Amino acid sequence: MLELELCGKLADVGGAFVKTVIPAEGCSVAELFAMVARQHPALAPSLDASRIRACVNEAVVAPNARVMPGDEVALFPPVSGG
Amino acid sequence: MSAQVTLATEAFDPAELLGRFSRELEGEGAVVSFTGHARDRAKDGALVDALVLESYRGVTLASMEDIAADAMARFDVTRCRVVHRAGRIAPGEAIVFVATASAHRRSAFEAADYLMDRLKTEAVFWKREEGPLGRRWIEPRESDHEDARRWHP
Repeated sequence: MLELELCGKLADVGGAFVKTVIPAEGCSVAELFAMVARQHPALAPSLDASRIRACVNEAVVAPNARVMPGDEVALFPPVSGG
Repeated sequence: MSAQVTLATEAFDPAELLGRFSRELEGEGAVVSFTGHARDRAKDGALVDALVLESYRGVTLASMEDIAADAMARFDVTRCRVVHRAGRIAPGEAIVFVATASAHRRSAFEAADYLMDRLKTEAVFWKREEGPLGRRWIEPRESDHEDARRWHP
């Protein structure tokens, strides 16, 4: 089980946190996106992997990075400061 | 050589920051500063009551520190100061302040320009305008990305 934090406008769609079941041995970030879309269909249209990035344990990671149950994961839509 | 970076959760005074930055000079001949303020109108002219900037744990500050470190490495500047607000910002309040110092002006101008271009597109914030008609998320415009790409030919 993973509790994902949804940042920015993603939270408007799915609330600030969503629980997602992932395999005990973990999965890749790309696989995680597919699982979130399957388990939370309302979020699926917002999960364009070319625009949404995963942050695992406070580091933005590539789609092939590994995610383990219990990791601190957040999904980042495009950022904008200034 | 130093970069000082702050994530501010309360309003700050850009004039006071610039004054302190200038008093700490050690012989540099040039200081450039930029302050971004929250506008009272959206791009389409709609009234804005507040700009809200969300951040994420330590990642937001780390992203700002990375950008400042890159500016220090890339340009011939001796120091830079970056302050960025998070939270709810009223129209007119400062959102972001950058200041750079160098022996001569060109490096200070370029480093400040670079800092702002990268903060606009890479600092980990999510920004929304709130007004009478509801809330609207603001993402970097294509022109912002074009500005940032100038530094990555």
